Amino acid sequence: MESISPVYSAATGPERRYSPPWADLSIIGIAGSSGSGKTSVAMEIVKSLNLPWVVILVMDSFYKSLTPEQHIKAHANQFDFDSPDSIDFDALVQCLGDLKQGKKVEIPVYSFVEHQRQKHTTPLYSPHVLILEGILALHDPRIMELLDVKIFVEADMDVCLGRRVLRDVKERGRDIDGIIKQWFNFVKPSYKKFVEPQRSVSDIIIPRGIENKTAIGMVVQHIQRKLEEKSEKHSATLQELRLIASEEKLSPNVVIMPQTPQFVGMHTILQNPDTEQVDFVFYFDRLASLLIEKALDGTTYTAREVETPQHNKYNGLGQEGTVSAVAILRGGSCLETALKRTIPDCITGRVLIQTNERNEEPELHYLKLPPGIEQHSTVMLLDPQMSSGGAALMAVRVLIDHGVAEEKIVFVTCAAGRSGLQRLAAVYPRTKIIVGRIEEEREPRWMETRYLGC
Amino acid sequence: MSGNTEPIPSPAQGVGPVYRSDKEKPTATVSKSISYENVHVLPQTPQLIALLTMIRDQGTGRADFIFYSNRIIRLLVEEGLNHLPVVEHSVTTPVGRSYLGVKFEGKICGVSIMRAGEAMEQGLRDCCRSVRIGKILIQRDEETCKPKLFYEKLPADISNRWVLLLDPMFATGGSATLAVEVLKAKGVPEERILFLNLIASPSGVADFAERFPKLRVVTAFIDQGLDEKK
Repeated sequence: MESISPVYSAATGPERRYSPPWADLSIIGIAGSSGSGKTSVAMEIVKSLNLPWVVILVMDSFYKSLTPEQHIKAHANQFDFDSPDSIDFDALVQCLGDLKQGKKVEIPVYSFVEHQRQKHTTPLYSPHVLILEGILALHDPRIMELLDVKIFVEADMDVCLGRRVLRDVKERGRDIDGIIKQWFNFVKPSYKKFVEPQRSVSDIIIPRGIENKTAIGMVVQHIQRKLEEKSEKHSATLQELRLIASEEKLSPNVVIMPQTPQFVGMHTILQNPDTEQVDFVFYFDRLASLLIEKALDGTTYTAREVETPQHNKYNGLGQEGTVSAVAILRGGSCLETALKRTIPDCITGRVLIQTNERNEEPELHYLKLPPGIEQHSTVMLLDPQMSSGGAALMAVRVLIDHGVAEEKIVFVTCAAGRSGLQRLAAVYPRTKIIVGRIEEEREPRWMETRYLGC
Repeated sequence: MSGNTEPIPSPAQGVGPVYRSDKEKPTATVSKSISYENVHVLPQTPQLIALLTMIRDQGTGRADFIFYSNRIIRLLVEEGLNHLPVVEHSVTTPVGRSYLGVKFEGKICGVSIMRAGEAMEQGLRDCCRSVRIGKILIQRDEETCKPKLFYEKLPADISNRWVLLLDPMFATGGSATLAVEVLKAKGVPEERILFLNLIASPSGVADFAERFPKLRVVTAFIDQGLDEKK
């Protein structure tokens, strides 16, 4: 056995590795004084891009929890929240490092009332571009190394104070005396000492914050260019993997359903455009039930002795652990009827992966996985059709990133192209694949349209 | 078999997909193998054994029992239907490609032996939506102790159909044998009868297979010995 790290058990060799676009994360750091308009600038950038994979990470989430003494000081406005010491840079560096590798991270939630990190966290997964925003975003040299663009937002200190007073009174329920006291005791000295020096290490300085449309426009353009590069690179990786895998024999983990007369007959009905939708749905469900039954053969069973009603002993088997499923939307939802017929209470997650029509690149739009999925004994991935397998690669990767072991994944599909299968099996050799029928190469996804009627 | 004798369990063996090594396969009692060409036993996959375990367990509740037996029955029906003839049929797919497939040939009907066989009707309907279902009621005659036909209601054109004969438990095969005689008397050729069954006794199924060599039996499991009173 070669030594493989537990989460990234994906690759058999470096060239076989599938790298999703989020494994190549760009991080943009935005620093600037409190009230300079960092947040507004970040929001404006995200708004003009309007893409689900551009995310803002606010450094406030990484405040350290305060001790009881510090907590009392904080309430008396005698605690310095503007010093680098108040931020847990180690945790932030770890988190950014993980994100940069495409891993899922848990972002701490900080309560300004209790001055404590909360028990719950916010999961963050698969951004392509991350905007890190905080007064000291450019402070730590370890973070500087991870940043692709370093922005410093500048505003007149009077404006900053004015904004801070308004915000703290309105949003944080603080009194003006306290705000002013904190400003002159901590915020302003800290600005001189830690915030302003970041100016000289930044790539772009944006004066006047949000009003500066030209500067924001430039940053947006830069991000768009980056995203395009990532998308091209992703498509190229997929293309490369297709070429590598096309020569190979299908792995034994690829199970093609026995082509019995009934099975072929059902395929014929499904592929006949004259079949009414009601019949299509019936035969699709019937065929899919057989696929699900087949997929369950691969789950874990242990010996189980039972007593029959005649009080005889029978050495049987029992299923071990939880079997769950994740439907790759929207097509995967077609397989759910068959799934519920076989496991009525099956825990089912969703992942929406759409293929961009322009460049055939799969894009992850939405994700909702069952909690504790990493402990399930089998996770079925449902997709009625797989042509090039780009969406399949991405979906398997998403599960692996969420801690599901590669060998616990069973990909279930009614029809798949040979090269797509070879590619999926080459990149994830321990994932099992149940296929109803080998279809011709580059077949468009039509089954879900037939099943759902639109 | 006499009531006192403990049934000898079939040899336990490792079950599981081929890609698992023997060490990784759990052991369980699988179906007894029986060498009649017209007896087809479902592949003894770990999943099938797990389903059978559920229905054999006296601790399984009624709802679960019905659910799990339906799942096995669907597999039986799917296997049984594969014995029906098909003809080549070419279609142009929605994406304009041609696909050489097959078309189902011949009409079918289900016949359940009351009342246990009726439990299999839902599974049959799951696979064949508008299938016609005939009924046969056979009871043991109190005087002669032999199975006696009490009632039958079958499709009028049954002699032109393939018949899926349903009875979940098969011990001595007295009722099933009589049911086949009834069907044959109605003009159904023996080779067009498929007997679908969940659990069978080896001696019963052997006699049955010999008596009707052209009929096909599809069963999920052949026991070492099955209690007659089931």
